[in-house]
Amino acid sequence: MNLQLTLALRYLNGRRLRTFLTTLAIVFGVLLIFGMNTLMPAFLGSFTANAMAAAGQVDATITNKTGENFPESVAAKVADVDGVVAVSATLERPVNLPADYFDQDASTPDRVTAVTLVGANPDDFRSLTMVNVIEGRYLEAGDGAAVVVTQSLAEAAGLSLGDALTLPSPTGTVDFEIVGVTPQRLLPGNEEVLVSLPVAQKILDAPGMVNTIDANFDSVAETRRAEIEAAITRVLGDNFTIGVLQAGAEILQNIGVAQAILNLLGGMGLLMGGFIIFNTFRTIIAERRRDIGMLRAVGASRRTITRLILIEGMIQGVLGTAAGILFGYGFALITITGIAPIGQQFLNIQVGKPAVTPGLVIASILAGVGITVVAGILPARAASRVTPLEALRPSVGEVTLKRMAGFRFWGGMGMIVIAIAALVSGNAGFIALGAVLFTVGLIVVAPSLVNPIANIFGRFMALIFARQGTAQLAEGNLSRQPSRAAVTASTTMIAMAILVMVGSIISSIMITFTTMMEKSLGSDFLLVPPSVAIWGTNVGAAPALADELRAVDGMAVVSTTRFAGAQIGEVAVGVLGIEPRAYTEVSGLTFVEGDPQAAYQSLEDGRGMIVNGVLATAAGISLGDEVAVLTPSGEQTYTIVGIASDFLNAKTTTAYISQANIATDFGRTEDVFLQMNAKESADLDAVEAGISAAIRQYPQFKLVAGQEFLEQNIGLFDAAMAGFYAMMIFLSVPSLIAMVNTLAIGVIERTREIGMLRAVGATRKQVRTVILAEALILAAIGVAFGLLSGLYLGVMAVSGFSALGFPMEYIFPASSVIATIAVGLIFGALAAIVPARQAARMDVVTALRYE
Amino acid sequence: MTTIQTEKLTKIYGHGATAVTALDHVNVHIKGGEFVAIMGPSGCGKSTLLHLLGGLDKASEGHVLIGGHNLNDLGDDQLTELRRRKIGFVFQFFNLIPVLSAVENASLPVTLDGMKPAEARAKATGWLTRFGMGDRLGNRPDQLSGGQQQRVAVARALIADPELILADEPTGNLDTRSGDEIAGLLRDVSKEFGRTIVMVTHDPRIAAYADRIIFLKDGKVVDETQLERKNGNNAEMLADKIKEIGD
Repeated sequence: MNLQLTLALRYLNGRRLRTFLTTLAIVFGVLLIFGMNTLMPAFLGSFTANAMAAAGQVDATITNKTGENFPESVAAKVADVDGVVAVSATLERPVNLPADYFDQDASTPDRVTAVTLVGANPDDFRSLTMVNVIEGRYLEAGDGAAVVVTQSLAEAAGLSLGDALTLPSPTGTVDFEIVGVTPQRLLPGNEEVLVSLPVAQKILDAPGMVNTIDANFDSVAETRRAEIEAAITRVLGDNFTIGVLQAGAEILQNIGVAQAILNLLGGMGLLMGGFIIFNTFRTIIAERRRDIGMLRAVGASRRTITRLILIEGMIQGVLGTAAGILFGYGFALITITGIAPIGQQFLNIQVGKPAVTPGLVIASILAGVGITVVAGILPARAASRVTPLEALRPSVGEVTLKRMAGFRFWGGMGMIVIAIAALVSGNAGFIALGAVLFTVGLIVVAPSLVNPIANIFGRFMALIFARQGTAQLAEGNLSRQPSRAAVTASTTMIAMAILVMVGSIISSIMITFTTMMEKSLGSDFLLVPPSVAIWGTNVGAAPALADELRAVDGMAVVSTTRFAGAQIGEVAVGVLGIEPRAYTEVSGLTFVEGDPQAAYQSLEDGRGMIVNGVLATAAGISLGDEVAVLTPSGEQTYTIVGIASDFLNAKTTTAYISQANIATDFGRTEDVFLQMNAKESADLDAVEAGISAAIRQYPQFKLVAGQEFLEQNIGLFDAAMAGFYAMMIFLSVPSLIAMVNTLAIGVIERTREIGMLRAVGATRKQVRTVILAEALILAAIGVAFGLLSGLYLGVMAVSGFSALGFPMEYIFPASSVIATIAVGLIFGALAAIVPARQAARMDVVTALRYE
Repeated sequence: MTTIQTEKLTKIYGHGATAVTALDHVNVHIKGGEFVAIMGPSGCGKSTLLHLLGGLDKASEGHVLIGGHNLNDLGDDQLTELRRRKIGFVFQFFNLIPVLSAVENASLPVTLDGMKPAEARAKATGWLTRFGMGDRLGNRPDQLSGGQQQRVAVARALIADPELILADEPTGNLDTRSGDEIAGLLRDVSKEFGRTIVMVTHDPRIAAYADRIIFLKDGKVVDETQLERKNGNNAEMLADKIKEIGD
């Protein structure tokens, strides 16, 4: 075997614990990047699969860009286009089913959580899609409440041919007779329920409307197909899309953002890993100066030495990356299992397996191995500069007491000043840049500050470990190697900064969202559909339900929300229709810009629109703008009268308009979310009973008491935040390893000094105390810097969120600051354990003979 | 056979007021195949001279010629190659790589030079067996006694068939018996294979194994003695001489 490889393997094997801990840092980083990136596509994949499943195997699927309904007559225009051989217009609608809809049993998992209602002209439909009826018959023109269902749906629902299938609809539940059964679906997704077009139009309250046109072309040649598609676009205009289904496009955008944030975390993990590797190699080189010198003396070239160190790094990088990928996959699997119920509850989708792409594997390998190698380069070069003389005459521990207030110090201070100026500017880009400058500035300045800080803490420690001189010794040990102390302190700093930053974000998010939640979900009762994230997949209720609710004895006010899909520029938008007066009584938007009173008023005068922050940022809209909104009936100009959001829709691109406008422009009169307040004098139980009676025909809604819903949401929120915290602690663990390493170098380099201390009468305990004091001073420096940096990053993140459209109030994370100080000092003490024992157990004679 | 020559070789450590002259215009001439011991009190510049001869350190003034090559003219890579192919080192503290076995340590220089592993191993095994280490080939340094470690180090110094062997207090860390064994080993190598050996020592008994002794004091050559092989009292004579110089 190659000599360098042999040496690398033997050395790594000789220090198994350290190899393990160092490699662990890489594992963490790769795990996060790999895990997150397999998880998100799995999520996205199942989401789009649900949407795409409906498209089937046809040449072209034509939908309105908004995803909304359009007149049946459009189908005829498509059929007339040259090259189009078959056309089928359908009215398709995902129908989210409430939990335990079929089995009425909360203990067993639901096998069907949603179905897709497809209303079609039976003959047209069959001309495009092969329908293989295995039992019963196919639909016939003029069929009334007859359905054809898949075998799997029939099984899951416990129904068979001739039975009645009951589905929720805006006008109350509808009973269908199962007249035919088709084979079970190959692709998982929403089960299709096929009915005739007029029936679908009636129960979905969309007379004469369809929302999907499938077409087959006369050619499979790419150029010909492109020609035909172009011809269709010419006939239909720009408002239609060929080939892409639009439903839920607004949520896709958010999943993308989440993925970016998690990638950032993974990147930070890897960076930490790189830092640790860097640190470890410096330890290794300190330990092996003699070996390296000897290798040089017997004829190893500088290149050989560099390569030796790099190969060691590479081995750790490769192992760490491999383990990271493996654990990352496991992590994704576990998360998916854990998240599946939430996915079903809020998005109503079935999440599939983690998605592993060759590109992701390659990227993870490059990141994991690359960072290790890069981190190893500097130490490896330092190693190659060890002279052969080291083998014969090892240098005495270096002492660098010169002051370091040079170019570095002032450069770093300059960066910090610029960063603070950036913070004041309020511009998101500047602030983000400022965060980087601030952290880098602190790292650059650190070596110059180690001495004064060590001095201060040293005095403090001297009070604790009084009269033994141990604190002074410890302080001196740090001060004589300020750059090394600074590197360790910087690692701790980054870990602590992350803790404080997350603390700031969490406390700010908590306050902001809890306030928003209480405001927007504060009504006495709510009728909640299966999905509160993708409104479009819910089946709502016709206005009759709201009227019935208003008639309930003791009811004060009923406010309803209606939904339609739209597009502003290239941004998919969820449009919510509200009735301002009722809405403000039971709920309310949290305004960032614009006067609430005037804004609500303007919704009703002409075409006024309130947009949330995410949409304002995504589409570049400001207060007072006139924007072109793509609706099923063409483009309409709305005036932006306010920027505001409620809790449920704060994360997706959302616009609020009046119910009159959503009816005129989008043809929507269906209520998807209802909030109610009872009269003050009313008996709440009686009102609840009244509501229950009214919604008996509307199983798509769940009746929730306001307080209960609020608590549910806060609970979910807390759980998500706790997960976030756990991940952060995960990320800060590697800094512990870095600290152990630096302390270990110190012990190795001072073997003789320690021997001398013992020889002149220092007890083992005193030696241990010196090392412990050193560790605590180091940790204190790291924590002090980490707090500074973390507070800045926290302010930055909160301003950044505001710039992205999530306005938040900055809350000083007092509990995080205390936790960070505690964690930092505990880390310091933990890090000292191994080196302190090593130093204390050293044999005096051997130590004195050690050179 | 390689001759070694130094001309006005000077080494000064530090600058200005704190400057220390370790070697002061030293001229020595060592013939090929000669076994030379360098003696002198502590701090006389013995080790510095050895380091300069091996190209481990740079001279402040003057130069070292090895086989006619001026070491000052060689870059780091060329010096490295010179050390690998032409010079073998034996150190006081053995300096074996702790994670490699005896045979791996001994074969290190040729392995570094790209020799096939099997060949390198065979060669190392040959030397180690010759030195009575045939049953210890696979042991790591921490499983060997001091004398055994030093034998591995001597084998390592010889494996590349260097013409010059530099030994810095090779017996300094050994008991009397092991010290004699190592010194005897070096003398045998010098006689049998005609290698040039320069050994630094402060022990007159060990120095007595050499052909010629160079005495250094305060960085200068103060005396030289050619030893007669037959004379049994060499060690005592050297001890007296050292005492004289030291005072």
